[in-house]
Amino acid sequence: MHSRRHLLKTVSAGFGYLAFAGMSNHAHAQEPASSLNPLAPKLPHFTPRAKRVIFLCMQGGPSHVDTFDYKPQLSRDHGKQGKYGGSLLKSPWQFRQRGESGLWISDIFPEVATHADDLCLIRSMQCDQPVHPGAMTQMHTGTAQFIRPSLGAWTLYGLGTENDSLPGFVSLSPPSGSSRNYGNSFLPAIYAGTKVGRGGRSAQRFMRGGSGESVPDIKNPRLTEKQQRRQLDYIQSLNREKLKREEYQPGVEGVIESYELAFRMQDAMPDLMDTSEESEKTLDMYGVNDTATANFGKQCLLARRFVEAGVRFVEVTHGNWDQHVNLTTDHKARAEACDLPIAGLLQDLKQRDLLKDTLVIWGGEFGRTPAAQGGDGRNHNNKGYTTWMAGGGVKGGFSHGATDEHGYEAVEDKCHIHDWHATILHLLGLDHEQLTYRYAGRDFRLTDVHGNIMKDILA
Amino acid sequence: MLFLRNLILIVFAVVVVPVHAQQLTPDQLKFFETKIRPVLIKECYGCHSNQSGNVRGGLRLDTKELMLIGGSSGPAIVPGDLEESLLFNAIVHEDFVMPPKRKLSDAVIKDFRDWIEMGAPDPRVNKITKIQSSITSEDIDHARETFWAYQPPEKQVPPTVDNTDWPITTIDHFILAELEQAGLEPAKDAESYKVLRRLCFDLVGLPPTPAQIEYFGSRWKSSPEQAIAHVVDSLLQREQFGERWGRHWLDVARFAESTGREVNQTYPHAWRYRDYVIDSFNADKPFDQFVWEQVAGDLLPAKTDEIWSSNLVATTFLAMGPKNVNERNRVQFAADQVDEQIDATTRVFLGTSVACARCHDHKFDAIPQTDYYALAGIFANSKTYWGAPPSEYGTFNTAQTKRTSSLLLLPIDDPNPFDPRYTSAELSDLRSEIQSTMESAAESRRDRAAGRIEPQQAIRDRLRTANQLSAMSVKLAVVDENGNPHSYCMGVQERENPVDVRLLVRGEIDQPAQTVPRGFPQVLCSEPVSIAGGSSGRLDFAKWLGSPDNPLTARVMVNRIWQHMIGQGIVSSTENFGVTGQAPSHPALLDHLAVEFMESGWSVKSLIRQIATSRVYRMSTSYDAHHHEYDPENALVWRANPRRLDAEAIRDAMLSISGEMDLERPRGSEVAKAGYLRVRDGTLGDPRATARQVADLARKNVMESMQQRGRSAVGGTGSRANSGSNSRLTDLRNRARQKSGTFGQQNNARSKSRFGGLNGRNNLPGDRSGQQAMIEAAVRKASSLVGSGLDMEQARYRSVYLPIVRDEVPRSLDVFDFADSNTVTGVRESSNTANQALYMMNNPFVIRQSQGFAKRIQQDSKGSANEIELMFLLAYGRPPTSGERAATAALVRSYSGAGRSLSESTLAVLCQSLFASAEFRYID
Repeated sequence: MHSRRHLLKTVSAGFGYLAFAGMSNHAHAQEPASSLNPLAPKLPHFTPRAKRVIFLCMQGGPSHVDTFDYKPQLSRDHGKQGKYGGSLLKSPWQFRQRGESGLWISDIFPEVATHADDLCLIRSMQCDQPVHPGAMTQMHTGTAQFIRPSLGAWTLYGLGTENDSLPGFVSLSPPSGSSRNYGNSFLPAIYAGTKVGRGGRSAQRFMRGGSGESVPDIKNPRLTEKQQRRQLDYIQSLNREKLKREEYQPGVEGVIESYELAFRMQDAMPDLMDTSEESEKTLDMYGVNDTATANFGKQCLLARRFVEAGVRFVEVTHGNWDQHVNLTTDHKARAEACDLPIAGLLQDLKQRDLLKDTLVIWGGEFGRTPAAQGGDGRNHNNKGYTTWMAGGGVKGGFSHGATDEHGYEAVEDKCHIHDWHATILHLLGLDHEQLTYRYAGRDFRLTDVHGNIMKDILA
Repeated sequence: MLFLRNLILIVFAVVVVPVHAQQLTPDQLKFFETKIRPVLIKECYGCHSNQSGNVRGGLRLDTKELMLIGGSSGPAIVPGDLEESLLFNAIVHEDFVMPPKRKLSDAVIKDFRDWIEMGAPDPRVNKITKIQSSITSEDIDHARETFWAYQPPEKQVPPTVDNTDWPITTIDHFILAELEQAGLEPAKDAESYKVLRRLCFDLVGLPPTPAQIEYFGSRWKSSPEQAIAHVVDSLLQREQFGERWGRHWLDVARFAESTGREVNQTYPHAWRYRDYVIDSFNADKPFDQFVWEQVAGDLLPAKTDEIWSSNLVATTFLAMGPKNVNERNRVQFAADQVDEQIDATTRVFLGTSVACARCHDHKFDAIPQTDYYALAGIFANSKTYWGAPPSEYGTFNTAQTKRTSSLLLLPIDDPNPFDPRYTSAELSDLRSEIQSTMESAAESRRDRAAGRIEPQQAIRDRLRTANQLSAMSVKLAVVDENGNPHSYCMGVQERENPVDVRLLVRGEIDQPAQTVPRGFPQVLCSEPVSIAGGSSGRLDFAKWLGSPDNPLTARVMVNRIWQHMIGQGIVSSTENFGVTGQAPSHPALLDHLAVEFMESGWSVKSLIRQIATSRVYRMSTSYDAHHHEYDPENALVWRANPRRLDAEAIRDAMLSISGEMDLERPRGSEVAKAGYLRVRDGTLGDPRATARQVADLARKNVMESMQQRGRSAVGGTGSRANSGSNSRLTDLRNRARQKSGTFGQQNNARSKSRFGGLNGRNNLPGDRSGQQAMIEAAVRKASSLVGSGLDMEQARYRSVYLPIVRDEVPRSLDVFDFADSNTVTGVRESSNTANQALYMMNNPFVIRQSQGFAKRIQQDSKGSANEIELMFLLAYGRPPTSGERAATAALVRSYSGAGRSLSESTLAVLCQSLFASAEFRYID
């Protein structure tokens, strides 16, 4: 192991040196100066197709057979016995071919469908977990069994970020109790996702907030910036002394890093969160002015503002797709709440020329069964489902893989969640086998010992 | 017997719908076959049956069961209850209109009315599928005999060790033996102040006082063992012990004071359970008894009414889980509630997730689906009480609360302290208001039926009156005939004539298969259990849970206690002792502790004392590269784990050090104060009312400061300043609105007129950013005073008493990884985030505590020489190092200038820095 003590003695900056003790197998050379700041932009392993990621996380498991996986045989076999019991349920929504590419997308996403020629559907997804928490965690970290760094944390570790006054990895209003899904695990704490806004019901309240107030405690009511900086230096000197005494304390290191970031965020965040300068046209494009879409629209708009400002990885969660019952009404409502905002985001990124190197990822932790649950619902299905990507180096108007005739299982060009991770890293210019972190005598990677890149989706 | 004398008031009759077929009389049979079945076939099956392949609205009417279960709007038929039977509602064209094109004849409608009123006798039986489990009884036997967690804990002989000087207690032998085997050495003892700090935070959740530090330090010199023993004994006696350890229990018990989910409805009586838990830990109630009470307290014999009350309150455990009160289907709701109870009970007490088997055999553990339904039978025969009691007029559903529930009446007089009293005049006013509202509702219905008003208008009317009636009824229900409040609690009661339930294929309520006899998870039972006839089996289950007869309860609990003291469990997956969980790092120690625990009479305090007085507990956290390489997770406990304090300890420590802490237990809770209502936009109560309050206060504030400035200002009211003030004030209004939620148009207009009075009469200071800052400050101040949010920044009591509304946890707790009360939480996260840094740097509560801390130092030190020493002693439990002294002096100079004395405000900045530092939030 690289001498930790040595680094502690020679590096005077307040944070992050331990990151390099663990970094290994980086084949390329790095500028010595930038390597002292763990958030400084780093050269990827090879030329990247995408520079940043917006991950639209659809929590609860949106049904692939009602959205992006067209199954005519399911309609024909409606009411018949499904192969794992229950009777097959045809989609309540009509599928149509869209755009020049002719991708089949259902009427549940009319606005997103107008961007068909930008979408790259992956219709053969698989993961190992049939229940929500496990599948969610696997989607984010590759495993449900252990606590491991999340996709965003790995990305930040591999690439650094463009704006060190903002967290490099932001999770907007994540659901409560989900912090391991944006956590750093054994990676240095600076790579953890920063939660912006609260989850749950409070998210809506937070999203309504106009400017700086939506980030709580962003401003000190008494001290000037100069005074606060002096106070902070004092706090950090106490922290550094403790760290020096204790030699190895990731927790203390995390505290030190959190203060530096927080101090810089005080300047940058209020402006970033203040959307009052956005034009009405932009707000309408994201559906911010319509009650049904306001919440997710605001989040998508913020996601764009964050990536534009240089944040490397932004995650936005849209919850409650878990329709065991009331599929017809509730799935529709879920889709309505995000359809226009997502379309707005794609359009906005495009017109700002950001889509070409921003990877937009859409997907839930799993899909749903073709067979009905009750009269009007579907159960979890982790053996076959659909996610999609857009922008950042993927083929538009393209479809990868396929499920069986009813949509139960991926049968063609299967894409396990490890393959999905490997491909995402690849698009970012990172080799998933080379992006390792040495912890407790072993090199860890996001894809463990798995992962095949889906070459055919690369533009 | 005394406890039978007072009958519990279960205000609403329970309608149990037995799933199995009942014997019909020949008359009933004839009635159904001649008057009901033909109509169903002719009029309904076309859209609602399997034959036609149509299941409109998720509703099938071709089997008895599916008719009772109903579709997406709720049950089609509720035997004996016309009001609830949506099929009847539809054929009389009330909310639904069926058949869609025409109305049935009056005679047919009367037939259906009679049929439902006679209990809807229905001979239709469909063939019962039988689900064959893929887990055989051999599989179960095999797992029981081979898997470590299913073996009864055995008494262990402490292993011998080479280094005989090190161990003090038996625990130390177990730990050292493993270390020696791995060729590792235990870390040296920690310094005395660190050990004391650990003890204080671990046992009572508060920092040591200077007096304790001094006393402990001097005793430590002569005998560390005696010093520790003495402090442990005295801490175990303190009331704060129960508050600390009770809170650990509340994490696993997923305690909260609201339903959570989409419609977040309060539980104004949940605080009784919180207090019950704290009191139980303080009394060192035998843990087995603690288990019995929570699962079946209502069924335990009780010598006094007080004990009986306490036992009833204990069953709140089963009632306070998260609920979707907006669920339209009552059968689904009931099934979900039972599922939640099974999940919580098995994970909390057995460290086993049985709820996986709701839909299919457990994928990893030997728990067949039938075991789940055997347990479901036990819980399904209890009725759960969690909502608000009905008044003499009944219970009124609103559009958002489709599911309602009553409460249990306590046998003692101990009302919710915040329930209002009414005079007889007020009572009769309330009654007549309810009656007149009911009459107008009835009139509106008649008008609708006669086509005199628009359907849309009728729906609006109905929703409005339903909300009014519900609110008024809740008021009336909580008082007796003299207007004095009743005493209620949440909990469960046994249903009469318990029945077994049927397995549901894939857990779907409309797919019942074979009936499953009630029972316990087989893999955990060495012998088959028998449940006494006439009882649900819940009492037997509770007794079995809290007994040496199952191999898990004691292990799971001692493992939790170990985790809280040492930093990680012997089984690190504290809620999963199954195949997918982590194997124990020290199986023999786990067994040893479990056996000792049971033999001590299940005494939690004894076990804590055992651990606290061990050598293991006293180790330092010092890092060692070789050890770390070998065992990075510290599974073998070669050193003490550095632990971040949890949210409560951080907040309580600040309050305690500032001297602002109020150690008195507050009566009830904020939620009890607010009563039974829906939590919206983070407020208890009407968010619009709160917004108005904030706006009014802020406006008053701005007015006052403007008047002050106006007096001192030279010059008149320029028109430019005026127009500026208008737009600023509009801004103020918007801010107040955004802070607390959406206004309807009407309210918007109203609040506009509120500020209208300001226009043109006053002027704001010309400087735009100054105005902006002033308005922001005014709104901030006003909202903190109104206390609209649940952040409770003004509260000074211990954190365990803060309101715990699901998804609306106070910021002071939320920011430091508070337990998610939507699920059983055995291990909290311990992150270090930028949000925490912002909180510690800028939050008004933190700043206030820092100022209090500074004030206290100035009072206590009586002279500047000691100030810095005292500050470090209070915050860290030790004097400053020379480096820290130098850094402190440097900061003081930069703030106050050389040679000046230390001002209180500078001292407050120092104090806040110590609160914010890493050492404050870590126990080393």
